Amino acid sequence: MSTKEKLKQMLVEELNLEDLSPEEIEDDAPLFGEGLGLDSLDAVELVVLIQKHFGVEIKDMEEGRPALQSVNTLVSFIEAKRAA
Amino acid sequence: MSPGEDKSATRGRWSSRSIGAAWQHRFFYGLIRLGGRRVAYAMLALVVLYYVLLRPDQRRKSQFYLRRRFPEARGFGLLSHSYRMSLALGKSLIDRAVVGILGPGSTRVSLSGREELLALLAEGKGLILVTAHAGSWQTTMAALDFLQQPVSLLMQREAGDIDRHYFEHGGRACPFRVIDPRGYLGGALEMLEVLKRGEILSVMGDRLLGSDRNAVAVDFLGAPVRFPFSAYKLASATGAPIGVLLSAKTGTDSYELRLARVIRVPAALKRGSGAFAPYVRQFAETLEDYTQKHPYQFFNFYDMWETEPAASALSDPPDNKE
Repeated sequence: MSTKEKLKQMLVEELNLEDLSPEEIEDDAPLFGEGLGLDSLDAVELVVLIQKHFGVEIKDMEEGRPALQSVNTLVSFIEAKRAA
Repeated sequence: MSPGEDKSATRGRWSSRSIGAAWQHRFFYGLIRLGGRRVAYAMLALVVLYYVLLRPDQRRKSQFYLRRRFPEARGFGLLSHSYRMSLALGKSLIDRAVVGILGPGSTRVSLSGREELLALLAEGKGLILVTAHAGSWQTTMAALDFLQQPVSLLMQREAGDIDRHYFEHGGRACPFRVIDPRGYLGGALEMLEVLKRGEILSVMGDRLLGSDRNAVAVDFLGAPVRFPFSAYKLASATGAPIGVLLSAKTGTDSYELRLARVIRVPAALKRGSGAFAPYVRQFAETLEDYTQKHPYQFFNFYDMWETEPAASALSDPPDNKE
């Protein structure tokens, strides 16, 4: 399973996005607000889940802000961290 | 209101802005410098009398809480409660200024729960302190120095707020880091950073900052109030313990800071406010106990009970994944 597929599955299952299937999540749709509809407190959970499932830590706002824009940006961040 | 409109946008909400003008604040600061705390208190007693007797708009603000805390009170009794509550608020603001102007030595602070706080911090997951608009948190926070960890405070300061914090009186640097809830993702990532570093995060548990989506209704003084659940969500995500820390004025120049309760939130709670209601309820119960002991030191001058709770939020059992 690719990082993107695993991430989408994690979003649906762990954040309980009951109305969505992984396939329905658009790669470039915003994660927060309009788009996937996550809120600020979901961001907390998301950061913890990324560390748990991908072993990648989002250390601070500087890293988090660009990474948490969409599935694509998050995948790029995870893969860059893993490659480093 | 349109069906999709956020009720929080239209509801009469609290404001951190002082009702006094800037010159009135400076006048009191001058009194403290010239005559000390007692002289400022004496002038305050007259000012509060004016507001309670001649400003029904201001008197009304105290009565949302007082009618819940003293349901039997009417007429003069309610007026008396209003005076005592407003006077207590004024004294807490004067005490805050006294600490800034005359130095921390001007006010004695006793701490209850010192060893427990050290033990909570030693768990290494950070520590969330949930406080409330009660007593004077800022006057007493110096008592937390022994924890030897930076304190970050979630705090919203409104434009036009002329109240000075105690450190501003002395021209000192802010002793804590302020996280603005109006920042990116409501400051959630910054709060998470604090806990990941094993530091202390302090949030007010009795007022909602931001969206109503981050609140859950639980009973407080006999009727539902929407309290924020962000702190409990953070605790669930990080494993950080929560200490409910409340301060109270115990004498002319003395305060008590008390670790009133420790709240443990299990990991992996479901999304949605209902899952956090049991833990918010523990906070509300602790706050109720506080208002029994210190009825005039709970400072929320707005209608906290103006809420339309979802029935599920009030009656659902904990909604855990496991």
